[in-house]
Order: sequence, then structure tokens, then C-alpha cells
Amino acid sequence: MKKELTPFEKAHRRKLLKTDLAGWGMAVWPLVGFFLFGFLPLVLSVILSFTDLKSYRLSEASFIGFDNYRSLFSDPNFFLAIKNTLFYCLSMPISLVLGLFIATLLNRQLKGKKFYRTVFFIPYVCSVVAVAAMWKWMFNTDYGIINNVIRFFGGAGIPWLTDPHWFRISMLIILVWSNTGFNIILFQAALANISKSYYESADIEGANIFQKFFHLTLPAISPTTFYIVIMGLIGSLQVYTQMQVMANPAPFGPDKAGLTLVFYLVYVMRDGLTSMGMGLAAALAWILAAAICLITVFNFFFSKKWVHYD
Amino acid sequence: MENLVIEGKKAHGPLLGEKGKRILFDVLTNMILIFFALLVLIPFYIILITSVKTNLEASNPEFSLFPKNGFHFESYKNVLSLHPLIGRSILKGFLTTLWINILPTVVGLFVSAMSAFALAKVKFRGRNFIFSVMMLTMMIPSIITLTPSYLIYSELDWIGTPLPLILPGLFGSGSCLFFMRQYFLGLPDELIEAARIDGLKNFGVYVRIVLPLSKPALISQFLIIFIGRYNDYLGPLLYLANSDYYTLQLALWNNLGTFINDWPIIMAGCVVALAPLLLIYLCMQKYFLKGIAISSGIKG
Repeated sequence: MKKELTPFEKAHRRKLLKTDLAGWGMAVWPLVGFFLFGFLPLVLSVILSFTDLKSYRLSEASFIGFDNYRSLFSDPNFFLAIKNTLFYCLSMPISLVLGLFIATLLNRQLKGKKFYRTVFFIPYVCSVVAVAAMWKWMFNTDYGIINNVIRFFGGAGIPWLTDPHWFRISMLIILVWSNTGFNIILFQAALANISKSYYESADIEGANIFQKFFHLTLPAISPTTFYIVIMGLIGSLQVYTQMQVMANPAPFGPDKAGLTLVFYLVYVMRDGLTSMGMGLAAALAWILAAAICLITVFNFFFSKKWVHYD
Repeated sequence: MENLVIEGKKAHGPLLGEKGKRILFDVLTNMILIFFALLVLIPFYIILITSVKTNLEASNPEFSLFPKNGFHFESYKNVLSLHPLIGRSILKGFLTTLWINILPTVVGLFVSAMSAFALAKVKFRGRNFIFSVMMLTMMIPSIITLTPSYLIYSELDWIGTPLPLILPGLFGSGSCLFFMRQYFLGLPDELIEAARIDGLKNFGVYVRIVLPLSKPALISQFLIIFIGRYNDYLGPLLYLANSDYYTLQLALWNNLGTFINDWPIIMAGCVVALAPLLLIYLCMQKYFLKGIAISSGIKG
């Protein structure tokens, strides 16, 4: 039998309910947005990856099981895209080390500190298309400034964007140029947060500059390093715009050197619609997402060994 | 005793004393930093100087660091006026980008912050649930929803309209919510209690008390969201490529194809596209740097 509520309890319950309603009314909107524009597409995406849809009308889809995944794993373009994407992930460790190096230099008492910081962060706010166009001009084999400088010192011009190997290196340069500033700012903030007293006690114990760096600085900034590794990898795995701008007019750059996973995904959705279809695109997206999740999870487990939180 | 020995060593040290070493180290540090700063800045000089050259001069294998035939601004005229062949211009793209993005940025920020305020300062049942789910959404790579979203918008006949770029943004985002919640948690509870005693409901407290107090955080988030949207390329490419709503990034990309080998025009387009961003960045950089540091978990 239900217990009778006293009027006081009833009023209290009503008040609680009212706060709940008010709270949900204010807080729920991002969740609604996620449900409509994130969760529903997510569910649809799973279903889609098992269909052969070759148009943009959902009613024309029919189930084909794992065929999309199977055809991806026998597609040389898919493996080339993986290979290229992994190569471009190299930009992460390079800009990480470079970022840490510059941040360490910036962490001293310097006159132009603010100026340097302002300059280094500039690439981060710039549009990727404009930056890619800018580099495309500088890497131009005949008129570009870079080959001009090389020729000035007596070298032969490098076919930056027409030779597949040099194309990959050019793209790596652009990625490092674009991403390092972000790492500098994060590392610098992390370095500035380390208490001076640690260094003082290390000095008293007679530690040299390398010992201090490896045993004191690196562990202290490890959460930031961890963040940069994860964000950097996730970003590099989804590289697209730079490739699309630089690869033009050849579809994927010389010898398809610019073909990354997202580039391929967009290609399948647009140009490859009638031959490969939206189902294949969805399957491709799931494989990429699985890779991203795997890296994130792996990093989280692995991080316990080297990331130190206070 | 030991200290004395060390002091003594220093006094008879090599050619440079402690002060000399410091100066040498400072000079070296500055030289390295200037080198890297130049690596960042030189490309911008190159696009600027190319944009005021004639195409003839730009196509000279000998790159001149200063325009030998004087400054020419024809490229800018070309970029800013409607192109007779394609009817698209950087300027039009800029205006399109502005109106497509301002509304979702402002509304999205307002909604995210409202949610964040409720999660941080209103004690209601289920708030942990909402927060946890929103945190989870940040882990989902956006690439996964690309294909199904395109199909949904296509079924709704929204392809070729800016709706797919506007509507989702109106609901706010997990990262913005997270950032604003961090900020609101730092506001004193007494302040909000006092406002409630004065008769304000939750929404009133949010609009009248909390928002005016959070200007720095709001500005920082506004800049980060707006610049992200301003620079977005894939979204407009998918949804607006064959429409009249050419955004700035699409117009830039279009320039690359239309004016093949007319680099002064392409570079002028880049200058026009980058200038507003750089200007905003230079004026507001403290908000940027703080925002970046806080959203990555480092206290700014």
C-alpha cells in the first residue's frame, strides 16, 4: 500500500519536479541536437554500410551484407589511402618535438616572448585552403620561391608537386607548418605551470640540464603531451583539404600520393557514387572511425605508463 | 665548505662568466626563435608581394622579392568584383560566409552556455546523465556521420541550401558546453543564490547575471567557433558546391581552378580571405590563447 504523503512532502516533491523540469529545459538542447544530427545519422550509417545504395535516395537501398567491407579490402586504392594517411601521421611526432623545443626556448625570460608567441600561432587561425594555395605557389617548380632559392645556391629545382615522393614531403612540410603553433602554445602553458621549486631542488642535487629535462620537465608536462598526441593523430588521420587543393588538377596528386582516407571517402560519395555507392562510403567511414577509436583507447591504456597527473 | 668550492670554480671559470654565458644563451635563443618566426612569416610576405605583381612578372623564373614594375592592384579589382564568366567573387563569398555562420555561432554559443550553466549551477536530477552523454559525443569522429547526414539532407531536399550548415550548429556543441561549464563552476554560488532571492528564475539568472559576467569566456568561444566555421571547406563543398551560396573557401578554391597560372589573382584572393582573420586574431589574441589552453585542460 502506498504511504500517504503529508502536504509538506507533496509540496517538496512538486518543488523538486519543478527544478528538474527547469534544469532539463535549459540543459537538454545540445543533447537534442546530438540526437538529431549525430545519433540518428550514426545509426543510419551502420545500416548504410551493409547496403548497395548507389544514389542519394534511401528507398533504393538493398542489403548486401558485408560486401562493402569485402570490396574495400580488395581495393588497392583503399590500401594506398591507408599507406598515405599513415605517412602523413608522421607530421604529429615532428610537430610535437618541434613544438616542445620552441616552447622550451620560449619558457625563459625573454624580451620578445609575446611577439614570438603571437607569430607562431598565426598558422592555426588561417584557412586551410588559403594556406594550401600559398604553398602551392611557393612549391611551384618553375616560378616558386623555394626552387628559386635552391637554384640561387646552385642546386637543381625540385619537382615538389609533380613527383610522388617530393609531393609527400611537401605535404608533410605544410602539415608541420600548420600544426606546430598549436603545440607550442599548449606546451608553453604547461611549462609555465611547473613550479620553480622543483627546479631549485634539482639544482641543489646537482642535476644537469638533460637530467632536469627528462626526469622533471617531461613527466610534469606528460598530460599535455598525451593530449597533443591524441589530437594530432586524430587530426592527421582525417587530413583532406590540403590534399584536395594540392593534388589538383591530377585527381589524387602524382601517382595518387595525395590519396588519403577522407579524400577517398569524399571521392566515393561524389564522383564514385554510381560505381561504388554510399554504402561503401559508410563502410569506409566506419573503418576510419574504428581506427581512430582504437588509437584513442590504445593511447589511454598505454598512457598509464608514462602520463603523470598530479 | 662545498659551496665555497663551487663558487671558487665559477670565479676562475672559462672565458665567459655567468653573465656572459647568459647573454650568449639569450642571443642564441633569439636567433633560433627568429629563424622559426621567419619560417612562419615569409610565406605571408610572398603571397602579399605576389598579389601586387603583374602576371608577367610573377611568371618570371627569377623570383623578385620586390615588384620591379611597381605595385599593381588589378588582381584585387578582379578578386573583389563579380567575375563576368563565373559570377562569383571572393567578396560575395565573404558575405555569404558571414551570414551563414554568424547566426549558428551566436545561437549555438547561447544554447551551449545555457546548458552549461544549468549543468554547473542548477541542482536537478539527470544532470550527470546529460553531461556524460555530451562528453561522449566529443569522442565520436565527425567523419562517421558524413555519409548518412548527406543522405538525410538529400531526402529533405536541403542540398544546395545552407540549412545543413546552419541548423546543427544552433543546438550548440559538446566542446563549447564543456568549456563554458568549466568557467561557470568557478563562479561563486552565493552570487546566484542572491539573484534567486531577488526573484530571478534560472533563465533570468543566466541571462541577466551569468552572461554579463562571462564576457571573456564567451568571446573566446565565439572566436574559436566562428573561425572554425569560417575556414570550413568540406561542409560547404558537400552541400553548397553547385549552388549560389558560394562560401569564401569555395570561392578561393574556385579561383585556383579558374585562374590557373594567374598567381597574382589567386594570391590576392588569399590575402583578402586571410586579412580579416589575422586582424581579428591580432586584436583578440589573448582570448584565443586562453581558450585553447583551457579547452585542453591546462589552466590558463
